[in-house]
Amino acid sequence: MINDFHYLKPASLKDALAMYAEHDDCKVICGGQSLLIVMRQGMVAPEFLLDIKHVKELSYIKYDDKDGLRIGATTTHREIEKSDIIAKKYPVLVAMEEKLASIQTRNWGTIGGNLAHADPAGDPGPVLIALKAEIKFGSSSGEKTVPLDEFFVDYFETKMEHGDLVLEVHVPAPEAKFGCAYQKFNLLDSDMGIVAAAASVALNADGTCKEARIVLGNAGPVPLRVTKAEDLLKGKKLDDKIFAEAGGIASEEAQPVADIHASEEHRRHVLGVLTKRMLKKAFEQAQKA
Amino acid sequence: MSHAKYSVINTHVHNIDGVAKVTGRATYTFDVNLPGMLHGKILRSPHPHAKILSIDTTRALELPGVKIVVTGKDTLGIKQGIWRRYEELCDEQVLPLEKVRYIGEPVAAVAAITEEIAEAALDLIDVEYEVLPAVYEPLEAIKKEAPTIHEGVERNVNVTRHIEWGDVDEAFEEADYIREDWFKCSGQAHMCMETRAAVSSFTPEGKLTCWASTQSAYYTQGLLAGVLGLREGDVRVLAPYVGGGFGGKFELDAAMFCSAVMSMKLFKPVKVVFSREEDFIASKRRTPMFYYVRTGIKKDGTFCARESRMFSNGGAYTGMGATALYLSGFFHSFPYKWRGYRYDGYRVYTNTLPSTSMRGFGAPQAMFCSEQQIDWICADLGLDPFEVRRKNGHTEGYEVPGQAFIASCGLEQCINEIEKWVKSKGKLPANRGIGISSCGFMSGGIFNWFDSPYSFSSAVVTINVDGTVELHVGCQDIGQGSNTTMAIIAAETLGVKVEDIRVHSGDTAHCPADLGAWGSRQTLMAGNAVKMACEDAKKQLLEFAYAEMGINIVYDLDIKDRWVHIVARPERGLKYEELVKKALRAKDGQRIMGRGYYTPHRKGMISPAYSYMMQAVDAEVDPETGKIKIHEVMTAHDCGQPINQLGLIGQLEGAASMALGYAYLEDMPMEDGKLMNPNLVDYKVIKAPEMPEAGIIEIDTYEPEGPYGAKEAGEGLTNPTAAALGNAIYSAMGIQMKELPITPERVLKALREKKEQEAQKK
Amino acid sequence: MEKQVLRFKVNGDEYEVFIHPKTLLAEVIRDHLGLTGTKRGCETVSCGACTVNVNGKSVKSCSVLAIQCEGMEVTTVEGLEKNGKLSPIQRSFLDHGSYQCGFCTPGMLMSATAFISEAKNPTKEQVKESIEGNICRCTGYNSIVRAIEAVTQGKYKEE
Repeated sequence: MINDFHYLKPASLKDALAMYAEHDDCKVICGGQSLLIVMRQGMVAPEFLLDIKHVKELSYIKYDDKDGLRIGATTTHREIEKSDIIAKKYPVLVAMEEKLASIQTRNWGTIGGNLAHADPAGDPGPVLIALKAEIKFGSSSGEKTVPLDEFFVDYFETKMEHGDLVLEVHVPAPEAKFGCAYQKFNLLDSDMGIVAAAASVALNADGTCKEARIVLGNAGPVPLRVTKAEDLLKGKKLDDKIFAEAGGIASEEAQPVADIHASEEHRRHVLGVLTKRMLKKAFEQAQKA
Repeated sequence: MSHAKYSVINTHVHNIDGVAKVTGRATYTFDVNLPGMLHGKILRSPHPHAKILSIDTTRALELPGVKIVVTGKDTLGIKQGIWRRYEELCDEQVLPLEKVRYIGEPVAAVAAITEEIAEAALDLIDVEYEVLPAVYEPLEAIKKEAPTIHEGVERNVNVTRHIEWGDVDEAFEEADYIREDWFKCSGQAHMCMETRAAVSSFTPEGKLTCWASTQSAYYTQGLLAGVLGLREGDVRVLAPYVGGGFGGKFELDAAMFCSAVMSMKLFKPVKVVFSREEDFIASKRRTPMFYYVRTGIKKDGTFCARESRMFSNGGAYTGMGATALYLSGFFHSFPYKWRGYRYDGYRVYTNTLPSTSMRGFGAPQAMFCSEQQIDWICADLGLDPFEVRRKNGHTEGYEVPGQAFIASCGLEQCINEIEKWVKSKGKLPANRGIGISSCGFMSGGIFNWFDSPYSFSSAVVTINVDGTVELHVGCQDIGQGSNTTMAIIAAETLGVKVEDIRVHSGDTAHCPADLGAWGSRQTLMAGNAVKMACEDAKKQLLEFAYAEMGINIVYDLDIKDRWVHIVARPERGLKYEELVKKALRAKDGQRIMGRGYYTPHRKGMISPAYSYMMQAVDAEVDPETGKIKIHEVMTAHDCGQPINQLGLIGQLEGAASMALGYAYLEDMPMEDGKLMNPNLVDYKVIKAPEMPEAGIIEIDTYEPEGPYGAKEAGEGLTNPTAAALGNAIYSAMGIQMKELPITPERVLKALREKKEQEAQKK
Repeated sequence: MEKQVLRFKVNGDEYEVFIHPKTLLAEVIRDHLGLTGTKRGCETVSCGACTVNVNGKSVKSCSVLAIQCEGMEVTTVEGLEKNGKLSPIQRSFLDHGSYQCGFCTPGMLMSATAFISEAKNPTKEQVKESIEGNICRCTGYNSIVRAIEAVTQGKYKEE
């Protein structure tokens, strides 16, 4: 059962930040698709609940060829999924959203809420990190922007402090000869991944690897960048052999936790397979781009 | 299809409850709301095995809004069970007095003015336990040193079953090849969309009304009366629309019992609805089974002998587990002729959630073992899996020695159709295969373990002056469409339209007793009762027609499409509505009423009729991750005469979805008796994107025992799928899956082991 | 904690209810407004039986605070028919037998209704994905998919 709370409904972002700073035992709700579950289980029971669902200033999708993509925190997953410009410029984001939970959840849940919840099994984190995204958050005292992979600190914990709200996700403009792919391993399509891997590849003019990013989902307390494997690929000619090697490193570096769905050994193994496959897919995209 | 042409039977008829269901008008027990109704919640044992030393309810009673707290001490303490015929199998006090035997077992119940208060009160009930050693696996619980779960039951062996025919040892001597394997079959949750729910209302006249999500209003009535010390006739059970049953909702559950006990003390309505979590941990599940199978076969493919031993995890109480034990062993021989057959089943108590009936009733487990082993034997001997099944399959007129008489049997046609279908698929890409499984199933059971004095099914039909028909049946519609099936049979028999029939069911005060919706019995048994009742009414009507029409005695009359007519000269007749009016007047204003009933007599040990089928599953395995993708399911199916066309398709597709879940998705892992995934995030139920196309090829037979030749469809269809998937994976990857569910991790493990074995051979 | 007024439209009718802010949309619909067509089947936002439409979009009402729907338009299964005339998707469900026990049906209909209003010439895969968030234990989904496809293919018109 959900514990009672005082309900705060700010009219604007400024209002919201001020109210949040004013109340200590206060949680923020927007879509509530993650928050309401933990509140129902009694794990979270704040005295105040700040509802930013109607703060329109944070709901937007902007794109510019130089600046890239900016998504406001209260933009719903469904809006991202259905965005023509995102489909055109960052198809991997649309593909990821299409497999995120269900349409009902995507209609109400938001990207800001998802990232603030910081579940290492969440889909957007690894993909956005592979796209080199940064995240802007702030309070009534000011704003901060950090690369997304530095935003996540631990299981369900971010760099944000009390009073901070996620404000915006910024994905840099797509570069030439770039590809990004994501896949999760699960039994049912809509489930969160037992494990997952996102990979992006940027190519030099001669087709060798300029930069690669490999980010694993549900392989540790935060989305895990396998920098060791990324370094292996840098400057190299890419082929199946090196993808397999990178997969092997990802397998070793991962810190998956076993549960009833899969053993640690199986998770490591599948992470290696997914890494290999996503690198290849990203590489093929980059070649065509 | 050469099925006889009927006006209503096997035509595209809308489900008669359809409009109610698609407009939100259908009310379930979940929705029942009565004036002054209180909300009940149940406190459950956190221990798998413990003595209850004391229960202090003082603090809970002090919470404002709480009206009562009950424990076993507030009940008659009667040990009940659905196998009423055998006292020793009536082993369950719903609210136990002395000890708890599984995590989740009810120990107390609260009724309060809101759900929230009732839930808060649970934390204020102080129970003192003396924890006892517990045992969780049947092969452990059967050991001498295992803790005793039920006093006086040695080795925790709850029930045993022995089935044997022929000279088994001699039959093994005849065999050219013998193979033995061990299998492990998992449990499964019914996972009805509507969880267990009941609303009880006891009034000052000493009568109890109970709305219950039940598969048998009659069983609920009898069981409640038994434990509450009431006359059955003073208990009225209403089953409004029921949100699924699948075998889990015809015993006495804690929602029914606790709501009734509390209402009897308060004289107020009390509602108890299980949360989804409670439904997982505390409503009985499909029986997990360990199967040892030894099969002897001649090199030409003739089956000689089979000897099987099965240990089932009975959990803490008997429930319907005794039936599952028997049926598993019987259908494990299906659908083949064995010269010698021996089955020994042992149902063993453990300190886990009790296991009971679930769609297929032990047969899905039995087929998983039998049908896979047959394919492996074929591979060992270089035999064709279709040919071997055809060679040994049941045929019309066969007698399973001492057990069953097979009347209609379309097995061979089923095998032929699927063989054709599989061949039409041609060569499949790598890592992809098609697996087959044949089976058969019962159309209702013979054995009266409930010890009912009533006919197994009954029906009463009454014709109103305008020709509309009231049909009172005891069979229960739980979604499978029995209301519609009975309306179809009634309409066909009487010669009217389905929209002329109003079906009354799910109310013990108005409807005749019927054993209810389980064992795939209703189409055959209740259908026969309805047919008999309608034939009775039609005969009475036609008596007036003969008089009215004054025709020569050699002519026969019949009614079809609301037209009473001479069969040989159908243009001569009168309107059905006209005839009804006249008949009513002639009977001093009394409506024509017909009665019908059915109980199988002298039909063997198991069932009056058997469905047959063969199923093929087309599946693909990702060799690197072990992930399984089901491409298609195709079933050739003999249910005699299909009655409810839309219903049949629904049963096939629905059974396939549930059976696929059993095969590769659903599992109930326990740690120290605790269920690890009691929610729909971690318990994987198949969803739309994973559900493959599931086609049906209907095989035409006529079952003399069934109404219009019909027999079961829907439960039997759950039986073959796990085996067929296993065989598909064997065909694709050469690995033998001996454990359910077939998970990616188990697939990879088997692939690794196969690789190691092959490396060793080199 | 203080109750708040919630003013919103349900099935075209204006409602004003006085609720604790923690009240879920599903609870307002079922317990306060008595519209029991919408069901609940889990505690983990998994089953979809509680699906309704809010401003035309499908949401799981067990996972939405009612108070967030201030000023919005909610449609439940009861709102699909107009003066006794069933909507195209309801008629398609009847023809295709797309229900058995019926407990998941209201949620399925609402997911389908939202999808049909948004989708243009969807593929079968897209139709399946439209009900991915709705569990059915009885039908095996295929008859539901057929019913939705038939409507998106224009075989059923508003009466």
